[in-house]
Formats: sequence, structure tokens, C-alpha cells
Amino acid sequence: MHPQTNQSPLREQQLLQTRRQLFGRSALGLGTAALAQLLGPAALANAAATGNSRTDIPSASATGHDGVHHRATAKRVIYLFMSGGPSQHDMWDYKPKLNDLFNEQLPASVRDGQRITGMSSNQANGLPICPSKYKFQKYDNQDRGVWVSELLPHTAQVAKELCVVHSTFTEAINHDPAITYIQTGSQVPGRPSLGAWLSYGLGSDNENLPSYLVMHARSFHAEQSLFNRLWGPGFLPSEHQGVLLRSQGDPVLYLSNPPGIDGQDRRRQLDALTALNQAQHAAFGAPEILDRIKQHEMAFRMQTSVPELMDYTDETEATLQMYGDDVKIPGTFAACCLNARRLVERGVRNIQIFHRGWDAHNNLPKEHEDQCRDIDQGSAALIRDLKQRGLLEDTLVVWGGEFGRTVYCQGGLTRENYGRDHHPRCFTVWMAGGGVKPGTTYGRTDDYGYNITDADGNVLVPQPNKDSWTPGTMHIHDLNATILHLLGIDHRKLTYRFQGRDFRLTDVHGHVMHDLLDSRAAAS
Amino acid sequence: MVEPHHLAIGSHSNPPHTIVVVKWAVVSMARLIVSLALLGLPNLAAADEPQVTDDRVDFAKQVLPVLSAKCFLCHGPDAAAISDLRLDLPDAATADRGGYRAVDRDQPADSAVLLRIHSADDPMPPLDAEAQLTDAERELLSKWIRQGGEYAQHWAYVPPRITPPRSNPAAVGSAAIDAYIADALQPRGLAPAPRAEKWILARRLALTLTGLPPQPEMLDAYLSDDSPAAYERLVDALLASPAFGEHQARYWLDAIRYGDTHGLHLDNRRGIFPYRDWVIKALNENLPWDQFITWQLAGDLQTQPTLEQQVATGFVRMNPTTAEGGAIPEEFQAKNSFDRTETFGTVFLGLSLTCARCHTHKYDPITHEDYFRLLAYFNNTTEHSMDGNKYDYEPVIKAPTDLAQWQKWQQWQQQVNDWVAAIDPQSPLGDAAKLPAADPSTLQWWRQWTQLDAASKLQLATQDAGNPLDLATRASAAHWLQQREAMEQGWSTTLIAKELTPPRETRVLNRGEYDQPIGEPLSPQPLPALGSNWGDLPPNRLGLAQWILHPDHPLTTRVLVNRFWSQVFGAPLVRTPEEFGLQGDQPTHPELLDFLAVDFRTHDWDMKRLLKQLVMSQTFQQSSQWRSDLDDPANQLWARGPGHRLDAEVMRDLALVASGRLVQAPGGEGFKPFQPPGMWEALAHPGSNTRVYQEDGQPGVFRRSLYMYWKRTSPHPMMTLFDAPSRESSCVQRSRSNTPVQSLGLLNEPQRVQLALAAAHRLQQLETDDNGRLRDLYKTLAGRAPSELEQTVCLQLLADFRQRFEQFPADARSLYEANVTQLTEEMDAAELNETVAWSQVVMTILASDAVIMLY
Repeated sequence: MHPQTNQSPLREQQLLQTRRQLFGRSALGLGTAALAQLLGPAALANAAATGNSRTDIPSASATGHDGVHHRATAKRVIYLFMSGGPSQHDMWDYKPKLNDLFNEQLPASVRDGQRITGMSSNQANGLPICPSKYKFQKYDNQDRGVWVSELLPHTAQVAKELCVVHSTFTEAINHDPAITYIQTGSQVPGRPSLGAWLSYGLGSDNENLPSYLVMHARSFHAEQSLFNRLWGPGFLPSEHQGVLLRSQGDPVLYLSNPPGIDGQDRRRQLDALTALNQAQHAAFGAPEILDRIKQHEMAFRMQTSVPELMDYTDETEATLQMYGDDVKIPGTFAACCLNARRLVERGVRNIQIFHRGWDAHNNLPKEHEDQCRDIDQGSAALIRDLKQRGLLEDTLVVWGGEFGRTVYCQGGLTRENYGRDHHPRCFTVWMAGGGVKPGTTYGRTDDYGYNITDADGNVLVPQPNKDSWTPGTMHIHDLNATILHLLGIDHRKLTYRFQGRDFRLTDVHGHVMHDLLDSRAAAS
Repeated sequence: MVEPHHLAIGSHSNPPHTIVVVKWAVVSMARLIVSLALLGLPNLAAADEPQVTDDRVDFAKQVLPVLSAKCFLCHGPDAAAISDLRLDLPDAATADRGGYRAVDRDQPADSAVLLRIHSADDPMPPLDAEAQLTDAERELLSKWIRQGGEYAQHWAYVPPRITPPRSNPAAVGSAAIDAYIADALQPRGLAPAPRAEKWILARRLALTLTGLPPQPEMLDAYLSDDSPAAYERLVDALLASPAFGEHQARYWLDAIRYGDTHGLHLDNRRGIFPYRDWVIKALNENLPWDQFITWQLAGDLQTQPTLEQQVATGFVRMNPTTAEGGAIPEEFQAKNSFDRTETFGTVFLGLSLTCARCHTHKYDPITHEDYFRLLAYFNNTTEHSMDGNKYDYEPVIKAPTDLAQWQKWQQWQQQVNDWVAAIDPQSPLGDAAKLPAADPSTLQWWRQWTQLDAASKLQLATQDAGNPLDLATRASAAHWLQQREAMEQGWSTTLIAKELTPPRETRVLNRGEYDQPIGEPLSPQPLPALGSNWGDLPPNRLGLAQWILHPDHPLTTRVLVNRFWSQVFGAPLVRTPEEFGLQGDQPTHPELLDFLAVDFRTHDWDMKRLLKQLVMSQTFQQSSQWRSDLDDPANQLWARGPGHRLDAEVMRDLALVASGRLVQAPGGEGFKPFQPPGMWEALAHPGSNTRVYQEDGQPGVFRRSLYMYWKRTSPHPMMTLFDAPSRESSCVQRSRSNTPVQSLGLLNEPQRVQLALAAAHRLQQLETDDNGRLRDLYKTLAGRAPSELEQTVCLQLLADFRQRFEQFPADARSLYEANVTQLTEEMDAAELNETVAWSQVVMTILASDAVIMLY
């Protein structure tokens, strides 16, 4: 007896089986919360208890606020990632006493046996102290003020919006492990990226654009590699991988119809395709066919919305001037920043801009001058632009790299030219908007900019530890936990079951940096 | 979740089947009904909730998962001193703890576990614990303790044994598979789905076994053959096709993270594709999997290892590596070994070992030291821990550059073996009649002869000292050597593993930190939790292979057949194929999994035989239509045939087939088809030799997707877009996503546009009308003629495009010229319009679910 019919097998369709499928249902404008609402609490509870993965994501309607686990102060995040390790010594972490120590050896007591890379551990001139050649100025930020070097004149002007953390640290000392660590929570490839976690947790507000977009900004010194894994899905369903928004060719891969095929042609094709797929669905009933029909339609809309996104004709001259001349050159950091603002306006919640070229082992002044010129005006304009449009308060902007650079010189040292090696023990990251306390200077380092210290100058040697956090320090897991917190996600609860374990971005570590939150975010 | 096997009386620990049958017979009808009502159909509402009935609680199936998920974090293998109660060990759980016992078997009501899980004042788990018990779980634990608190081992740690299917205990082979499936269907009053139509089966079979649609002749032969053996004939033909190994290899390459680059930092080229070709060859030749595994883990440790055995050790070398400036060699020695150990755990044991790198495993009985004893097997190879950014990152060996060359090499070997076989009888050794008369130097020569492999015998045969061979034989030896030299000239290097002597010291690394070794040096040792009676295992990778292939090993065969099942049925029996430990899912059909595992091992680890059994089953041949009579979206009952979107490689290969341009050039260095400019440059280090993407010319670009060049930090975008893993780490199950960007790829990607043009051109050469062309295309891609609806829709679309291009021929020309680089056809304007119009119909059909899905 086979009660087999040609009717649409509704029962099976209504129960989309696994968690993976439920929360994996990409885009369609449905974040997890909205999806939960659509399917009803029962379906969500069922889904939570089945399948290969598990999170604890209540619906927005149930919690009555915008956020997955608690009220979100940031609805979206723009991460300006400086790949290669920007020199905090030449931009942010002002150490005037070093001027008198030019070319003297770094005292062993300061290094305290900490490992350094093979590149400078055996150099003939030892570890000569290298003061920054750049002038610093203290800018009022309504806190203890923040010192910014002449390399970042524009960024300095928005100091009151920034929360500058001098005591960020990591354990990794080489690029590949370090960048993999800060972007995926693990030094070894294989884990989902921060962006993929956010895509998994946040979903999308936009039916016409992907939920997670990644841009690669032009650099004149692109010395270090990037890897797909930095925006890759790891073991999450692969729809959570970042979609590249490119400056060369199609802004989104394969966006354009083949030459000679116009929008009407494509419409006809899609109508035919829909008819074919509906027939297939009538015959086999697999729900993924219906889902695919929707994806084709969304792609069709993207073909309009993406070019419109990249078309700046609706921007005022004042806005373009704020971002600087670079903004008119596709692929520059400034253009990426403007794209980011435009994406934010269109409901995209998860944006990353990667800027390479910060790995200044030699000729740091020349390279960092170029690098800073690339990013300075764009970053500042982004903050201003968001602010004047009322978007900064619920948009989190993060700026930083995978580690910092050493106080000692790598290679030949003169007052005018020098290089710096990798330094994981302290580096500077700033955040702005989205519930971060504006005008904050957080964390201190010793007179050499080598170790994190407390306010009295005592060296702190924090370890990433799930049980305790050392005030005044920010491990990269803490940074990631804080980013998630601001977006309404509890980093301990955003998990995915893989290999029998509930994995999370921060592994078993991470503490939300409550000291950096404004009153709204702190109350969440 | 509710597994259908809750009804199965025979469990892993059950004695032989006679008793099971008796047990089954005494199950009362009433209880059956109660169980059914409670268990229901697979129903999401009941997911993960233990079902407490009057039945005896099954510790391994029901209680252990709860203890593991909710208690072991503190009371498991890695219990801290403050909570040294171990609930994973029966002796500890039942020990007198100063007047009370956690589990009191004499006075169950006094059991501390029972009191604490119900305590409001001092509850367990503590209120601030992330994992809390549900009421049903509390009830289950209580009942377990009331019933005596008996422990049993986790199912996957007990060697598999066959429990015959209840519905048909005598069934063997494919019938047994169907019977195990029926065991869960019958109590629910369900029947399997009807058999799928023949054309569907032919397509399903061909795509499943070879990753290509059935060839038209093969399809016609099958469709016109009404004999009962027709299906089996098709199966056999497909299993014998060279495309079989190519398709099946891809799953293995995902699992062992095969890539053509080093994977870290510069991500430079790595020469290891001969390993990939060897995998294809081994699968096509149906090398038994015990050897397939042994050679990969320890080919170099065989006596007189053959070329193939050495090439196979590329498996050991497959981990991503770096040569980043300033990186610390000791750190990467540790990281490389971690990666190998953990990948080994995923691929062969289905166990995540990563936890135990830093501390004793929280859930599974794997201590920190166990991990490092396992790691010691891999921590002992000769290569430097940094790759030097070198293509031939030593040790390497020269090997054939493609499968045609492998074949030539094999023929040469065969001929040399024949040559050796002809000489062997001349030996005086052991021949009492000849021995006394033999010259001492000749004897010495013969003694050497017996000790050498065939290739080295050739060398000996060309030496003068003591050489008893006649001049003609010597000359033929020289000839063979010369031939080999000529062959090897064209060979390529491939990374291999070599054992280090004396061994590198392995110690436990505190918290997994490379610079914090602690304790005594460790000798390699299998995981104690999985048994101990392994006999004498050599303390090296060969011993490791022998361990996992041991008949009593509980995991290897289960883990392998689970993946084979998934390759055929689209989803595995254990839905967490990467995790068989306490935190993994239970099999949907435990007895079936064990049957397949034992059957595979006891039939020479014969993969083709196993796959044949799977596809010969009625279960595989069911219609894949979704059923309105059951709620089983995840197909856990296997009551419909497989249905899902095809993998990235298969989708591209289908377009190649439609175009008629598929190049059958098995093996060889990875090819680079079109990819949008700048993809690699945007990421790569300026010093990387994979910074600039240089597209290959034809016909190389029309090779099967399996051979596409795999840069691990930036694989081809059409692969990652459709869920291919990066191959930086092991992937034993791809996700299947459904995104708008995929739609753009399906309809706009230049390779596909080109292939559609080629297909259109091919169709135009057919001496038939539009209907005939459409029929040809549908037959090629879907294994059938188009339906009336499909015909109407497609011909209308064709008419629209014809009109379009008649009106605007420049549009047709621009499409053609922008995409014709790999095509050579010259055509006049009318022909061109026609080709382009057809190509867009082909694009549409190629993107449709009738083509991109398996069903």
C-alpha cells in the first residue's frame, strides 16, 4: 500500500528538517529572529533540538527588542581590518621617553624572556630601541585625551567618537596564525570567520543584497597574504561565507549577464526557469526547489541593487569631498568606506574592509605614510558620515590589525628610517559607534610600549582565561566577545554543533569589555 | 531526536540473533503500541527528548548521551580535583564516598545523583551551569538508577557485530539492507516508496557511481532491456568505468584535505598530484581498503616499498604548511603533528581529538597523554617542519605525471616481472643438484638476487661480477632499465613520508603549547579507550594502520561505511560523520551500520562490492518523491530515494557533457579554467608563486572538475560558491547551501556560457529539428525526453531569443565574441544568431533543477 500521490506533499515541506536548514536558510531577508517568528515558536524549539547544530536563539518577538540574546545597541558592524600589523608606535601609542633611548638596547627586563620572531632574534644589532619619527599631538576626547600622530590627521579629528584601546593583545606572532586567530578565534585553519558567525547569528535585513560583504581595498604595499578562510564559513553552512564586493570586474562575482543579454532577456529566462523548476517540484516535492526559485529571484534583484549601490551619482559633492579624492577611484579604501556606508543604509549588517600592507619590517616610514594616507581620510569620513546621518549610534565601526609592531628596530636604524617586527603583546585597536563609549582611551603600556601595565605602571601579564579577566587588557577573544555583545549576541551562546562539540567564536574564552560600553550597551 | 531504532530490540550489546528473535517475539502488543505512540514518527517535537516508557532504560542509547551532555563537563574524563566524582566510570560512580554513593545500587533512592538532580537547594547541575537537565532527562536518570544503575559502553566503542534483521533474519547482501530498513518501517505501518522509473534509476546510478550522467548508449541499452538483470548489468558497467574512481576519489580528497598548494602564508605550489592520481587508480582497481589505508599511513614502512606504496604516503604529508619568515620551527613541528593526528581522528576514527591536545577530553575517554601517544606516530617523519616554499618539499619521489603514464609504468613492471619470473628457475640456491658446483661469486650474486625487488634485480643483471646470466638476458635488463629511465625523465615529484631514525622525542605538551613539554618521552600507542588486545603492534605508523584495521577495532569500518552510505544515499546513517564519540548522533539504523561494517571487513574491504550492495538495494531504488504519508524531512527512515542538489564538480561536469567537449584525460597536474581576473592577486603575497592566475588553454580546460587546480587559500570561486571546502582542514560532509549568488553563477559564469555555446553548436550539427535537439539535450542531462511542459517552455524561450537576435544581431555577436576564446567555430550571421539563441536555452536548462539535482 503506497499512499503515494502527485499532490504536493505539504507535511514534509512544512517541517524543514534540520537546524542546519532552518538557520542556514540564507538571506531572503530573514534573520534568525524573523525566521523564528515566521515558523512559530514550536518549529523553532523543535529545530533547536534536532539536527547537527544548536544555538539558543530566541525570537525577536519573544524578547521584544532587536537582538538575538539581549538588546542590541549595534544593528550592524563595519570592520576596517589593517592586515599586516599596523605600528601602534607610529600612530597611537605615544612614548616620548624613547627619544632619549635611540639605538640603545631594549632592556632584557622589559622583554622578560618573551619569544620574538626568528627575523629579529638573531640580528647583529640586537634589539635597538627605535623611537617614532612622527610628531604626536594630544586630542581632547573628554576622557584622558588621546595621542595621535601626524600620520592620522583626519582620524584625530574624530577622536571624540573613538574608543581607543592600547592594550589589545594576542598570542600569535606570525601573520598567518595571527590573522587566522583574530578572524576565526583559532590559529589553525578550519573554524568559521567572525563574519560568518555574524551572518549565522544575525541574518539579513535586505532582500536584495547578500548579508555579509567583504571588500579588499587597494594598497601600495600589499606584502602579506589574505586567505578565503578569513571570511570563510569553516564548518558553518557555506551560505554564511562572505560575498566579495570587488572593484575589478563584476562587483559581485558573476553579477552581470553575459554581453548581449539584457534584463528583459534574463527575466524571460527566469520565468522559463521558474516554470521548469515548478514542474520539477510538482514531480518530486523537495522544498529546496521552492527555495531555489526564491534565490533566483533575489539574484535578479541583486543585478539591479548592486550596480545602484556602486553608483555614486546620488552623493553630494560635500560627501565625496569628505572622503577625499580617492573616493572616485574604485577599490581605494575611501571608496570601500563609502560603499560601506551605502550598504549600511541598505540594511546590510555585516561588512568588512581588508586593507593590506602594514607589515613594515623595513622602510616603515615610507610604507606607513602611504598606508595611512590610504586609510586616514576614509576612516574619518566614514565616522562623520555615519554620525551626520544618525547611523553611528547603531553602527559599530572597528579598526585594527592582527598584532602590533615592536619598539625595537628590525634591520638598519636611523632617526629617519627603520623597520619594526611583529609584536603581539600589546597593540592598538579602536572602535566607534554602536554602543561603544565614545571618547575613551583604554589600557596602558609601559614606557617602551612593550608590555601592558596598570595605571601605576605595573606590568600586567594577562592570559586568555575563561574564568578571569585582567582589567585594563583586551585579548582578541575579548574584542570579539564585545563585538558580538554590541550586536545583541552572547558570545557564549552563539554556538554550532560540530564534531560533537558546541563550537563558538571565542572558544572557551572571551569577556565582554564592559568598561568600553556606553550606558545603553551596558544595560543590555 | 527520535530514532526509528528505538523499537529495535537487538542492540549492539545483544547476544546472537536467536535470542533477539525470542525477545522480539515476547514483546507484548500493548507495549508495542505504547512505544509507538510515544516514539511516533520522526517528529521534531520529540527531538532530543529521551522517551521514558515502562521499558528498561538503555544506558548506552539513552542515559549516556544525557550524562555526557549535561554532567561530563565536570564529572567526566577531565574531572577537576574539586569535583573528582567521575560519572563516566561505574566504579567511581558507585564507590562509597564517605557514607553515600553517587549511584547506590543497593539503595537506589539514596543515590546522591537522584537527590541532587531533584534538589531545589543544592541542585545538580548547578543553577549557573550552561547545560541544564530537562524534566524528561531527570525522569530518565531516576529510572535508570531505580532499575539498578547499570553501565554499558558507548555503542561506538564496542566492536560491531551482526544482528540479523528481524523482518528477514536470513537476508544477506542488498536484501539485508532492505530488511534493516523495513525493521523500522513495518512497526509504523509504512512501506518503502515504490521503485523509481527506469530513466531516473539510470541517471541516479550513473551520477552516484561516476559523477557523470549515463552515456546515451548505456542508457538506451538499459531502457530497452526488460530482463531482471538489466539493472545489475548497468551497475557493473558503471563500477568498471574509469569515471568511477575519479568521482569516488573526490570524497576522499575532501576528507584528507588534498590541495595543490602548501596552504599557509605564501601558499606556494606543492607537487603532490601524483598522490591524487594514485587514489583514483587505486579506487578504479578496487584496491582493498585495508591496503588502501595501510599504504597511505605507512607505505614507506613496507618491506621493499613499491612506488605506489611510497606515493600513497602523500596522505601523511597533506597537512597545510608554512615557511613564513620568523616562524619558529618547533612550533610548526607541533602544529603539523596536531593537524595530522586530528585529521587521522576525523577520517578513520570519527573522533574529534582536538580537545585532548590541551587537556583530557571532556566527554570521551581520551586523556591528554593518550593524545600525545597517538601523535607520536606522526611526530616521527623526516621532513623539516617548514616547507621552504618549495614545490618539491622533501622528501619527495618521482612518479608518473598522469594516469596514462601510471599505466605505462605498470606495463613495464609487468614485463619486468615476467622477465624475473623467467630467470628465477635458473637459481642454484636451494637446488641440491646445482648448488655444489656453483662458483662462490655466482652464489653471492644469486643471494643478492633473491633479496632485491624487481627493479633492483635489473641493476644486478647488468653487473659483471658473478653474473650467471647470458648476454641476451643482460641486454634485455639494460633495455628495461633504459626504458625506465626514459619514462622517469618525464615524471614529476610528489611528497612522501619517511620514518625518522632515531625517533623524534614526543612528550606531552602542557596546554598544547609547543614550548612546554612535560613528563617523560612517550612511545606511540593506540587509544586505550578503544580496547587493548591488539597483539604486537610495531611502534610506528605501520602499527597504527594495523591497529585501526584490527577485526576488533570498533570504529574504522563503521566510520568508513557510514561515509560510503552517504556517498550513495546523500546523507549518512550517523548524521555526525565527523563525530562518533559520546557527543555524536546515534545511527538512524544501528544494526544496519554494524552489518555493513562487518560485511565490509569480512569481504576483503572491497569497496566496489559494498557500493554495489548499496545501489542494488530496493532502498536505493525507491522513488525520491516526497511522501505525503510521513513526516520525515531528513529522510531518517530512508523511506524515499536520495534527492539533493549535486556537488559543484558534478554540476560543472554536466555542462561539459552537454557541450560535448569533456576531455577524458585522466590524472595530471591540476588545470586552471577561466576565473574572474584578480581573484588570486587580491589576496596573494607578492612573493607567492600562486599570485598570478594563468588560465590554461584547451583542451585542458575541458577536463573533469576533479582535476581543477586547488589553491587552498583561494579555490576556484565556482567550487566554493557551491559548497566545496577549502581543503585546509578535513571535510567529511559538505553543506548544501542555496543562495542568490549561486543563481548568478549558474546563469552568468563565463565557463558555463562558453559550454552552453559549445552545446548549442553541437546541437545544431544534429540532423534534426528543434524538438529533436531539445530531446537530445534532455536525454544527455536528465536521461529522458522533455515533458510537454518543458518542451513548450523551452521552445517558447528559443523563439523569444531568436526574435531578439534577429532584431538585434549585434547582441548575439557580442555574446559570441566575448565567450568564444576557447571555441574555434567560425559561422555566418544566421548561424551565429541561432547558436547564441540556443545557448541561452541551454543555459536555462543547465541551471534547472531537473539537471542540477539528483533525484
